[in-house]
Amino acid sequence: MKEHDEHDFVVGVPCSKLKDIIDKIDLYIPCTREDEAVALAVGAYFAGKKPLVFLQNSGLGNTVDIITSLLKPYGIEIDLIISVRDTPAHHAFMGKITEKLLDLLEYKNYRLIKQ
Amino acid sequence: MKRIEAIKDIMKDVKDEIVIASTGMIARELYAVCDRPRNFYMMGSMGNALGIGLGLALNLKDDVIVLSGDGAALMSLGTLVLHKKLNPKNLKHYILDNNCHGTTGGQPTCSEEVDFQSLAPNTRVIKVDPEKGDAPRIPLSPEDISKRFKDAVSPDRA
Repeated sequence: MKEHDEHDFVVGVPCSKLKDIIDKIDLYIPCTREDEAVALAVGAYFAGKKPLVFLQNSGLGNTVDIITSLLKPYGIEIDLIISVRDTPAHHAFMGKITEKLLDLLEYKNYRLIKQ
Repeated sequence: MKRIEAIKDIMKDVKDEIVIASTGMIARELYAVCDRPRNFYMMGSMGNALGIGLGLALNLKDDVIVLSGDGAALMSLGTLVLHKKLNPKNLKHYILDNNCHGTTGGQPTCSEEVDFQSLAPNTRVIKVDPEKGDAPRIPLSPEDISKRFKDAVSPDRA
């Protein structure tokens, strides 16, 4: 995916692991859900922008429908920055399957932030 | 009023506006009423038409119209609130409320329990008949819709 500074439309749902990055981005628009953030990014893509979406891996599940039924069939690629949490217990399962889920979705345009 | 008549009413004044149609019968009826390259027909990702419209309106000077159904709006109530907050002046959002999921056979929604307009005063609600609709599937592939639409709304277009 492109370097951060090449993006000119940035949306997302926050994560404490992403706070320091997001806080530095003036144009960041906070969204209510991760699929909504991807939808705004799709609108920006059609408008000729280079969008970027921030989310945590717990919210990746919320994007499965928009990835499979909009991005894939319509041939749209959206860059994602995904923080990966695998603790405490409620994050453990998604933490274990995050990369497998992205592989299953044949999603290439992402960067994982593990710290 | 039938939903397709409401779509005809909206489209009769449309000139250069970008129009985003929500999943299912709304997209099919828009195609039947007035196909044009600056229409975007969303086939899946129900609930996300307004988000796409917001992304367009925030990044273009062009006027943008989004046609949602009540089922899709209920799926994404948060997006109505985000629209209220960001409120780009070039975005109009209509909810064609037939109080049912028409495309899947008319199963009831709970739209009678919510006042969309008070949630987001910049949304316009049009009550339409609780019918299923019978417009045929859109004979365009998603890839073709995407390419045609991107060319037609690009700020660099000729």
